[in-house]
Amino acid sequence: MSTYPEVHGEPTKTGTAFLETATATIQNFAPINKIHQHLCAFHFYAYDMTRQVEAHHYCGHQNEDMRQCLIYDSPDADARLIGLEYIVSENLFLGLPDEEKPLWHSHEYEVKSGVLFMPGVPGPIERQDLEKVAKTYGKVFHFWQVDRGNNLPLGLPQVMMALTRDGQLHEDLLRGVEKRFGISINNERENRAHITGPTHGIHPLANGGGKGLKTELREVDCRPTDSVPRVFV
Amino acid sequence: MASSDKSPSPMPSGTDHPRPPGQPMTVEQHMIDKGAQLVQSLKPVKQMNQHVCTFALYSHDMSRQIETHHYVTRVNQDFLQCAVYDSDHAHARLIGVEYIVSDRIFEALPPDEQKLWHSHAYEIKSGLWVNPRVPGMIEKPELENMAKTYGKFWCTWQVDRGDKLPLGAPALMISPQPVNLGQISPELVHRRDNKYNISTKVLRDSRVEIAEPEWINPQADYWKQDGKGFAIDIKFTDMKLRAPFP
Repeated sequence: MSTYPEVHGEPTKTGTAFLETATATIQNFAPINKIHQHLCAFHFYAYDMTRQVEAHHYCGHQNEDMRQCLIYDSPDADARLIGLEYIVSENLFLGLPDEEKPLWHSHEYEVKSGVLFMPGVPGPIERQDLEKVAKTYGKVFHFWQVDRGNNLPLGLPQVMMALTRDGQLHEDLLRGVEKRFGISINNERENRAHITGPTHGIHPLANGGGKGLKTELREVDCRPTDSVPRVFV
Repeated sequence: MASSDKSPSPMPSGTDHPRPPGQPMTVEQHMIDKGAQLVQSLKPVKQMNQHVCTFALYSHDMSRQIETHHYVTRVNQDFLQCAVYDSDHAHARLIGVEYIVSDRIFEALPPDEQKLWHSHAYEIKSGLWVNPRVPGMIEKPELENMAKTYGKFWCTWQVDRGDKLPLGAPALMISPQPVNLGQISPELVHRRDNKYNISTKVLRDSRVEIAEPEWINPQADYWKQDGKGFAIDIKFTDMKLRAPFP
């Protein structure tokens, strides 16, 4: 399914695989077991809308107002973990400091356009949840630029944005998910016509405040040694 | 605008509770979640088969150190990817992602890229890195592999700073090291040891025969070279468009 080059590396050795089977049965995976939902959508780089990535979100709720999601490049067992997303209710978003708001994107268009979907979940149940999602805001970082063919996670974290109107998404990406997941995004759009976005409208500072965003690396001095008490552990 | 080493403005709505603000889950949402979990295969997250508890330091301020819980997927013999949480509880907060590569892969990375990575040898030899609840005998072959690896860890939620929601830019994290600034606070280690009823010191003694890598590339743990750490800034710029935005 993955159309990108594989991560180079030796196949997993039998001894290693055995160890991991053993640990998986003894250890506590509570945070992972909280992940209950798979959402598929697209992200683009906050400074370059032309670079778009299919993003498979695996989400768990922190509470009714917040979800945290791991983002993979495919829904398969060999998927690459390319980033993460936090999703908050309108209420929590409005409480964020103003300088934080541009890092978050709205979800209204993604839901209403039909582009965001939950693979395998029947429409009526899916729409029950998407009515909530349409009112939320998300903050995404990608750490692995698979769209430029990187077979390793290189460089800096990237702020990502989501679709906000027709004409932004590459047609071939749209056709790709329709074909693989057997869905029609245009048909689904009609089913979602009644869904509404944030109660107070999309905040003007969200979505980068309409501007692009980029990350930069800056060297800083480590703190002087004597400022921190040290005992050898 | 945002920087990993600058404290965000205070959140208007504040409680002293460490958990994120928000309403408790509704029954309806629980039902939707259960339903989705039943019909969706969630294959990528089912590949996680190892829980590692260890510690990390902020590259831009090494006096800030955190306990981390890595849920690890091995992609192949040379590459692992980890979802990092602040605890192993069901309500744990997702605080970042770490990638782990073998020495073979690391040596082939460009030098500027290598500066963002940290070595794992000391973290493992010192007993700081543990697989909770896994008997030492079973753990050992994996530790021998891991001692030769390098990691790149981005933290996106600075919970130790008291952030109730993930604020600001991602922060680069580095690994514990045996020299001054790189050492983990004994209280932090003690608290972790009590939780799992283990002794980092006993573990360290039991790991003496794990081979020290013959070579740790000095481009990793870059701060040891000249006392420089890294911060990330997020800045406004122009966006290359293919349709109007937003």
